[in-house]
Amino acid sequence: MSIPVLETENLVKVYGKGATRFDALKGLTFEIHEGESVAIVGKSGSGKSTLMHLLALLDEPTAGVVALEGEPVNKLKPKKISQLRNDTFGFVFQQFFLNPNQSVLENITLPLKIAGMGKSERNRRGMEVLEQLDMADKAKNKATNLSGGQKQRACIARALVNKPTVLFADEPTGNLDTATSEIVEDILFGLHRDYGITLVVVTHDEDLAAKCQRRLMMQDGEIVTEEHGVKEVQA
Amino acid sequence: MRSVDVARTALGNTFRSKLRTALTVVAIVIGAFTLTLTSGLGAGVNKYVDNVVAGFGDSSQLFVLNAGAGDAEPTEGPAEYDPEAATGSGGMFGPGTGGGLLTESDVETIEGIDHVSGVDPVVMVSPDYLETADGGQYDLDLDSPANAVGLELAAGEAPGDDGMDLSIPEEWLTIYDTEDPEAVIGETVQIGISDVTGEQTSVEAEVVGVTEEALSGIGATPMPSRELNQELSDLSMQGYEGQAEQAYSMAVVDVDDLAANEDSVKNALTDEGLLGMTVEDQIGAVQGVIDAVSWVLSGFGLIALLAASFGIVNTLLMSVQERTREIGLMKALGMSSGKVFGLFSMEAVVIGILGSVIGVVLGLGAGLIGNAWLTGESGPLGGVAGLTLFAVDPLSILGITALIIGIAFLAGTLPAARAAKKDPIEALRYE
Repeated sequence: MSIPVLETENLVKVYGKGATRFDALKGLTFEIHEGESVAIVGKSGSGKSTLMHLLALLDEPTAGVVALEGEPVNKLKPKKISQLRNDTFGFVFQQFFLNPNQSVLENITLPLKIAGMGKSERNRRGMEVLEQLDMADKAKNKATNLSGGQKQRACIARALVNKPTVLFADEPTGNLDTATSEIVEDILFGLHRDYGITLVVVTHDEDLAAKCQRRLMMQDGEIVTEEHGVKEVQA
Repeated sequence: MRSVDVARTALGNTFRSKLRTALTVVAIVIGAFTLTLTSGLGAGVNKYVDNVVAGFGDSSQLFVLNAGAGDAEPTEGPAEYDPEAATGSGGMFGPGTGGGLLTESDVETIEGIDHVSGVDPVVMVSPDYLETADGGQYDLDLDSPANAVGLELAAGEAPGDDGMDLSIPEEWLTIYDTEDPEAVIGETVQIGISDVTGEQTSVEAEVVGVTEEALSGIGATPMPSRELNQELSDLSMQGYEGQAEQAYSMAVVDVDDLAANEDSVKNALTDEGLLGMTVEDQIGAVQGVIDAVSWVLSGFGLIALLAASFGIVNTLLMSVQERTREIGLMKALGMSSGKVFGLFSMEAVVIGILGSVIGVVLGLGAGLIGNAWLTGESGPLGGVAGLTLFAVDPLSILGITALIIGIAFLAGTLPAARAAKKDPIEALRYE
């Protein structure tokens, strides 16, 4: 079998000390392979967000190892980790985090700007992604003038613009109504299907989780069950 | 992130809350304005003093006084009489001017000092009046011919060594009812002087030059040629019974290679109880005072800047707080802490550049306009020839700009460090 794109070994995360000690993750070991779609499912407080932060290299585990393409990242310098995040990951957040003062194009090319790409190349890549998501006509609009669905599509565009290997989506439909949720879900799974992008979705939404190939059910900092195969959702 | 993008983003962010930025910039502007004005003032007045020094021209000269006149050290109680110290002889200078004069033997001593190539003793005369061709008489004080090199001429030439010549100040043109200085060149005047017996005699002299008043005061009074000065001196000594010893107020001494021999000649003079001063020594004291004043004023400018730097700290701290999520997002998307620090300190630098450029431009404008107004023909200080109150010194302008940008950068480091330290997860969770 190929080297997993992300793997963890005995991942532990503890917040606080003594009486206020809280074990957010209690020793998780699993793998995510390239091209997989994985849902991390659980109630709030189950540790799913903490797990995503560790997988996305936004946080350091108290104990255990996260490895990216077979390489443990614990020993890397912060600057190198920042660069890895910029190169390999795309992020879609529940609260869009778009800069209201900037145009859609400026917003979605932020990862490229951080990567140090020149302006014309940035804008070219940005327009490509916006066309892919049918947002090209909104490129010059201010981010505040978009509807919720358009905002989330802009976020997806931002996550895709650096051609990431892994796309992390943290409650991507949490702020959207049912109809727009479906459109956003279609886009995400379309990307996974058509471009083979690895999708890691953190959600408490069973319907969204059901569309993933694999579901890690979390409770109190542990993976209680693991389900495989896309579930048919009853209408 | 490329540096050009950091700069562009910082510039954009600075203008995001315009009023806040504007108010912070105003504080910087005040400091920059004050510094520009004070340094320009110092440079301008010093430039003028330099011009005056250059007016004296011959820098190989040393002005020698009797040390008693040079250092008027206050003594406790009455000073003891010293027969060696020269006194004004024959009442030539009237009572109260005794002491601190140079005698013939002093002049010989000076001539004997190494590197001295010439001694030109200066005789002070006190004429009574100047009489014009139409009979009008005016009270007269004469300047010393040794100062002739420092004259600023409005017309004609400076009175030289020979000829019964003198120059008159521009203000005296009213005597001839004219405003054209050229018109009075060649006029003859009578100068009256009393000898020791109180009898008045007069000599004829020709007006060869019209002078403007310089900052040093030279040119404010008529100045005779050396020959006229000596003639007046001789006239004043007429009727003196006994051996009249010639006395001089000072001597102008020519020194070979003054730069190299200044100290040795001065030391030799000091050993003889004499005091030698170069033009720079005399003017240097003036420049020292000007420098001190402009430094004190600059100090106020610096205090204004110090206050303004806290404005920058405050503004950027607010900005960092407001943009917590944006910072979190940038860090999550792979921006290193170093670049976040760079971005925010660049915003401080942008504020510094804005403030310093506006302040320097305003300061230069105010200085140049003020200078033109004050020292212009009809301005309050228009009468002083060649006076500049404000000069543009590109080096100090650059220095001020660099200083302010440096201060702005330092002020920005605290908020920038705070932004750089933000944890992306905490920042993204921040509501």
